[in-house]
Amino acid sequence: MAVNGMALGMRPGKPSTLPHHVASRRTWRARLRQAVLWFVACVWGFPTLWVLYETFFAGAGRFGFTFANLAQAWQVAPFGRYYLNTLVMVFGLLAVQLLFGAVVGFVLARYDFPLKSVITLIFLFQVVVPIYAVMIQDYRMLSSLHLLNTMAGVMLPYTVSGIAVLSFRQAFRSVPRELEEAARLDGYGTFGIFRRVYLPQAIPAALAFAVVSVTYHWTDFLWPMIVTNTDNARPVVVGLAMMAQASESGMQWNLLAAGTAIVILPVLILFTLATRRILAAFAATFNW
Amino acid sequence: MSTTATTLTAAAAPLRARRSLLAWCLRYALVLPPAAVVVIFVAWPLWVTLYHSFFQLDARGHAVAFAGSKNYQALFASPLFHQVLWNTAVYSVLAVVLCVSIAFGLSLLLYGRVAASSRALLVALFSPTVMPMIAAANIWLYFLIPQFGMVDQLLRWAGLGHENWLGHPGTALLVMVMLFVWKYAPYFALFLLAGLQAIPPDVWEALRTEDPYGWASFRRVILPILRPMLAFVTTMAVLYAVETVDPVFAMTQGGPNNGTNLVMFYLYNLGFNYYSWGPAAALSVLLMIGLSTLSGLSLIVLERRAFHWQ
Repeated sequence: MAVNGMALGMRPGKPSTLPHHVASRRTWRARLRQAVLWFVACVWGFPTLWVLYETFFAGAGRFGFTFANLAQAWQVAPFGRYYLNTLVMVFGLLAVQLLFGAVVGFVLARYDFPLKSVITLIFLFQVVVPIYAVMIQDYRMLSSLHLLNTMAGVMLPYTVSGIAVLSFRQAFRSVPRELEEAARLDGYGTFGIFRRVYLPQAIPAALAFAVVSVTYHWTDFLWPMIVTNTDNARPVVVGLAMMAQASESGMQWNLLAAGTAIVILPVLILFTLATRRILAAFAATFNW
Repeated sequence: MSTTATTLTAAAAPLRARRSLLAWCLRYALVLPPAAVVVIFVAWPLWVTLYHSFFQLDARGHAVAFAGSKNYQALFASPLFHQVLWNTAVYSVLAVVLCVSIAFGLSLLLYGRVAASSRALLVALFSPTVMPMIAAANIWLYFLIPQFGMVDQLLRWAGLGHENWLGHPGTALLVMVMLFVWKYAPYFALFLLAGLQAIPPDVWEALRTEDPYGWASFRRVILPILRPMLAFVTTMAVLYAVETVDPVFAMTQGGPNNGTNLVMFYLYNLGFNYYSWGPAAALSVLLMIGLSTLSGLSLIVLERRAFHWQ
């Protein structure tokens, strides 16, 4: 369906020679739209702002600013350890997923061999099956491998990402063969061609995948919660949830606010620094 | 001359065959280990789950006897499961309808002004999008604490008494719906915004001169163009709503009186708290069928959208 003005039977537009009342009505409407947008943004931002306010100002007297709540929350739960675990798992997974994705994507895009379509289907299968469906069996498998309560255990089922494989494959397939032949004439071997010709072409796909993977695994809760049961392997999201449960059974409420602030502050700062770039990345990709 | 050439190729043939065999082996060596990981952690567990859903399992989860459809029958005979299904249905319908309509409104508000909007506005609007669901749930938990939380303080200030929002099944489920809308509406608005921005400028220009007040043209032109994106966002919202489990953990643990016990939380309980592996396997199979159909559907819709515009 080609959508343009002509196909819809409309006259080609003349640029803005509108009657005066229409134009003034439009600026009035634009102002109203802007006001509504600000109102919505205030409503949406308020809960977060309130929690941050309570973290930094509650119990500090009038007009006071305090780090006491943050420090107390940091003592109650080992957030340093949680953050370390999260970083190791999220970026470790990203590295492994990118490595497997690039290599497998390259082989699938570039070479032929028996059963290739079956193998491609296996990776497609991984995209479609939700982890929830196999959670119990995976847990039991980790248990028999003595990998429960380890970071490796949390990471293992995710180490190969079908999305990574398929998006690398797609990116590599769009590389023209002439480029490869030219590189071969210049004396590059297969690995050199992979590194110098193919990989640079896949950088946008890799970045888009990185955004998806990092957001998914950083916010993932149920699977790491099931696998871990001590602070040694818990990511920060699970640690926060455990802290919240403790707070419901009679802990101080200000600690809940402070703990939440510890988790959201880094990402909020990052988001404030690179707002438009991150929004563009979100719009260009999506969580599967 | 020609005879030497043929003998040369004849001599080269086994060599070439050996080289291509070597190349195949190398390709398999690169591709099969990752495929094996997928088979071990996704395909094989899925098969075992399917198999177990038709067997009677002992306490340690080993199959002891063929059970036919007894696990499925046990699952559907449980009144708790009926309640869980009802909760999930109510929650999903409310959450998806509210979330998608608000996201659509937001995308229309944002259209053409993301570039001009101030950073503060964008950060306020999209702060729920970038934080984990658990953190979002905690913020609302903090917000709704009886007596002490912001909402109750406001109510008291307005002279309306106080209310334990998470203490009643109905209101607790509504809080979950609000949390979902708060967390995901701006996120989905981004997709719809991308859809709006993909409409060629001459369409907007034509509509502007033809119909400056624009309701009819909006309904007749813009909505049909956006329909594939709307369908994609709706399927994604359904998927997210059915998979909701984090806020149940953080806020209510399924209570009060199982009023917020959603299907994923029930599955977790079946497997890890009640140890009824058979019905858990049956429920896993049903969820697997439902969810993967949905996500496959959303992919197809998206493919059609991409096809549409390129």
